[in-house]
Amino acid sequence: MIKVLLLALSVSLFMGCSLVKEVKPWEKETLAKPIMQFGGLHPEVTKFESHVYFSKEASRGGSGVAGGGCGCN
Amino acid sequence: MLKKTLYSLLFSTVALMALETGDTLPQNIQEQLKLDSDKVYVIDFFASWCKSCKKELPLIANLYNNKVSEVVGINVDKNKEDGEKLVNKLSLPFPIVYDTDKALVETFNPLGFPAVYYVKNGQILNVIFGAVEEIDKKITEDIKAIK
Repeated sequence: MIKVLLLALSVSLFMGCSLVKEVKPWEKETLAKPIMQFGGLHPEVTKFESHVYFSKEASRGGSGVAGGGCGCN
Repeated sequence: MLKKTLYSLLFSTVALMALETGDTLPQNIQEQLKLDSDKVYVIDFFASWCKSCKKELPLIANLYNNKVSEVVGINVDKNKEDGEKLVNKLSLPFPIVYDTDKALVETFNPLGFPAVYYVKNGQILNVIFGAVEEIDKKITEDIKAIK
């Protein structure tokens, strides 16, 4: 019984892995929205947070990427 | 049973394949895009949410107006209205196909957006994926090389 349960569990886990679907370039509409950027719609929030980080850690940089996630370089 | 599974696996792999340089477009796509033989076409995939596409489209429109190349635009927006809004805003002069059911883009399966394909006699001669600075100059040079 335990073996059957383990088998069922492992099969369901592997099936879960197979359901992970790659997001194609033409499906990135949601990712390209401005809200998906780091800091969201308000750049001043990011600016404030980076200021606090710099004050506490005495270091800055390495906290952002270019683009909004639409996959157009 | 095994045969059926193997066939389904084979067809699922075929569906994932992308059209690449040297491939011939399926006849139904050539008809849908109304491609004449012996003309070089620039097929441009774009969407209203793609910033780089919006930057490149006016430059590609200039190429079409200056008769550098035939152009067919393929809009892949979920909502056709979004695509039409962009087309009207930019006053795009070339023919546009609205691929709302994603049949075309899934067949071409480009690696990135914007995606530009050069097609002559139904055959893909070259592809450009992603944003390119001064795309008009790049396309003009490529068209000269093809002709």
